[in-house]
Amino acid sequence: MMSGKRLPRLIIQVICFAWASALLWPVASWKSAPKLVPQVSPFAAICSSIAVHAISIGGGIGLVFACAAIVKRRWFCRYACPTGLLLEGFAAIGFRKSSWWRRCPAIGRYAALVTLAGAVIGYPVLLWMDPLSIFSSTFGLRSADTAVAGILAGLGLAILALLSLTSGQIWCARICPLGGSQDLLAAAGSLWKSKTDAVATAAPVSIGFLARRSFLMGAAGIGIGFWCERLGAARGEHAPLRPPGAVDEKHFTGLCIRCGNCVRACPSKIIHADMGQAGIAGLLAPTIRYEKKYCLEDCRACTQVCPSGAIREMNLKQKRRYVIGEALVDGSHCLVPLGRKDCDLCVRACPFDAVHIRWDEERYVAYPVVSTGKCNGCGACEVVCPTDDFKAIRVWKRID
Amino acid sequence: MSKELTRRELIRSIAAGGLVVAGTMTPLSSILAEQAEQGAIRGPQPPGPPETRTPAKIISGKVIQPQRELSILKKTGVLVVGGGPAGTAAALSARRLGVDVTIVERYGYFGGLATGGLVLAIFPIYDRHGNQVILGVGEEMMKRLDKLKFGIIERNKGSENIYPTVDAEAFKYVLADMVLESGMTAYLDCWGVDAILDNQGAVRGAVFESKSGRQAIVAEVVVDASGDGDIYAAAGAAFVKVKDNIGLDSRIGNVDIEDLVVVTESGNQRKMEFKSGGRDKVQGGRPTRGAPVTALEGVVGSPTPAPHVNWMNMKGPIADGLDVAELSMLELKHRKALWANLERAQKKPGAEQAFLLETAPQMGVRLTRLLGGTKRLTLQEAKSGAKFKDVIGYGGTYGLAPEFQIPYGCLVPSKLENLLAAGRCVSSEFELADTLRLIPICWVTGQAAGVAAALCIQDKCKPREVSVGKLQNILRQQGAYLG
Repeated sequence: MMSGKRLPRLIIQVICFAWASALLWPVASWKSAPKLVPQVSPFAAICSSIAVHAISIGGGIGLVFACAAIVKRRWFCRYACPTGLLLEGFAAIGFRKSSWWRRCPAIGRYAALVTLAGAVIGYPVLLWMDPLSIFSSTFGLRSADTAVAGILAGLGLAILALLSLTSGQIWCARICPLGGSQDLLAAAGSLWKSKTDAVATAAPVSIGFLARRSFLMGAAGIGIGFWCERLGAARGEHAPLRPPGAVDEKHFTGLCIRCGNCVRACPSKIIHADMGQAGIAGLLAPTIRYEKKYCLEDCRACTQVCPSGAIREMNLKQKRRYVIGEALVDGSHCLVPLGRKDCDLCVRACPFDAVHIRWDEERYVAYPVVSTGKCNGCGACEVVCPTDDFKAIRVWKRID
Repeated sequence: MSKELTRRELIRSIAAGGLVVAGTMTPLSSILAEQAEQGAIRGPQPPGPPETRTPAKIISGKVIQPQRELSILKKTGVLVVGGGPAGTAAALSARRLGVDVTIVERYGYFGGLATGGLVLAIFPIYDRHGNQVILGVGEEMMKRLDKLKFGIIERNKGSENIYPTVDAEAFKYVLADMVLESGMTAYLDCWGVDAILDNQGAVRGAVFESKSGRQAIVAEVVVDASGDGDIYAAAGAAFVKVKDNIGLDSRIGNVDIEDLVVVTESGNQRKMEFKSGGRDKVQGGRPTRGAPVTALEGVVGSPTPAPHVNWMNMKGPIADGLDVAELSMLELKHRKALWANLERAQKKPGAEQAFLLETAPQMGVRLTRLLGGTKRLTLQEAKSGAKFKDVIGYGGTYGLAPEFQIPYGCLVPSKLENLLAAGRCVSSEFELADTLRLIPICWVTGQAAGVAAALCIQDKCKPREVSVGKLQNILRQQGAYLG
């Protein structure tokens, strides 16, 4: 059944799939390995490079891939995309081999345009739809320690698989923004070709379409981007804590592609997928919750694995000074003023010498105070605070 | 004539009655009976042997104490200065090796801050897995408290946050019992004020001040368990002077509430939960950076073994524990503040009838002097779980720091001979001394110092020459945990 051309393509696809899996597992001890996979996606590379005004090495490769897509339409889907390979497989064994999906509009192009426009203002709206990031997030199954975390990690790919089983190649051909962006690139390429050629070739996308829809989608992307940014900014002190290196809250939820790399990289397992505490825009983005462990002073693992630049890479010194939040003390629950035990656990736990016991002569009581300049919100104090249910010292989002 | 006879008879009958009352306390009662036989006379006493008086004199505007000979109160093997957790542990464990032991205590009871300071919390005694790593003589004390009604609560919980709490009076009783049983010599209300040195500069005893005046106790080895390192400082050993918070603990009676409530219990684990108050208030808003104290409605403390009695710890301001003027002012201010707290606490439901049962006889002086020992234990070593060949015991896990080994070198002065330090004044970095000062760890250093001192006598060696293997073997035999 396999045509002569199909076999070499399959071999290349399998090699890419294996390579991506090895990077994500990760087989190598190279800490930044997992970020390379989502980074080389042309769609993610273009949008995140624009959004953070910087090009990473992986992003550079992604941009080269994007240029290749101008010449060779959808080559990435056909040869490189590991998600594509999986979905092809699912579609092949799918119980409904109908082709009704062909009537579905090409949502992917719109998604790509919306995201691109959002990226211009720093909020690439639908970056999380990138198939490579969905593929990456599946690897969270390996390290998930709760059922919820496991379900969340596998959810993205499971939905795509279900889609492929029931409706054939609808994701790859119609919905995927990575595919859509390649279509757009190829269209732009043929537009340029048609000008030079003077012979109107049968462009896959008409010029009129490009002009009108680009404008509409661009406006929508910028609108949604601004709206989400405002949502992020409005949360203020109630915004969730983000991993060290995270860009400011209003851009974070847009830049984050939900690949789960940081969640997996964290040795303390304090990074969790947000279950909607930060509103719909922040759904599944990483947040920090201190339970048993804190953000270790000699670790920068999460800053090394982010493919989209939502978490900037930092050296140890920078990371130690990155303010995740600030520890604040609630005197009504603290054991020190209550005089229960000779408690000074927070003082002892702080790696940055930021917590001290202050004696208030007037009120004749002692209580812990936090030096704002020294505290980076690592949560060591919150973890050791012995008031079980409601910690007397907790890390809050810093508001300046 | 008949009158005199009646008095003598009366005295005899009192003495006989005393014998019955004294009951099991045989050595003490026999002394009392003997004195009664000799006939203590009420009223003016016959003149004793002549005493040479050498009062201080003002010489050209300076107060000069003339040179004088001191009477020797006792010649002993091991002299333990201080009868707190470290001192009692040292004296008891030394006595078990059969040497002659004398213990001298500044107050009228044993236990130091654990009883007179009302520091009733026995922590940290567990490792990260909840196993008790502080055993030995301290565990024996707790086992005796176990047998008493209202002696000790929250035993063997295996959790850092639920530690045993003792009753101060029960603990005083247990220590009196153990000291009397051991056959050591004990002097109470007797303040160690100076060291006695020989020609080589080695410590040969200590000078004491009591109602009997200034007297000397000559010893083969001295254990400085004074807490403040008074004797090693007087002898000229190297030390670091430090300041820490000084508070005054107290107990209030007739209360049925506590600041934090223990509600749920499953297996060995108890969970602390807040009864009322702050919770809703706080969830609504964010605490401010200045961390204002909202718990000013009056503190009612946490439970003790005695029913309806709570105890309260006080952090207090940072002060100099060696400055009499500062200490005196602080103690007065602390007592005033405790009364003010009581009045606020009485407004709380459940504490309306609360009364201030006791302010601690001793202020909670945390740290004053840290010995310059042959080994200065650091916080980094403790945190990284450093292992020592001369380990003499463990400190329990506390916060993020795991359980840690304590080496013998912490007890031995770098230069001074014939003296061992025990308790909070041993050789360590200030940051770690903050843990070493805690009651059960004082038991550990005390027991090791006591055994080592006895070995010095048995093996005729200096403290720094003590066979570590032998020391460790005996400590293990005595039930101490050395890993």
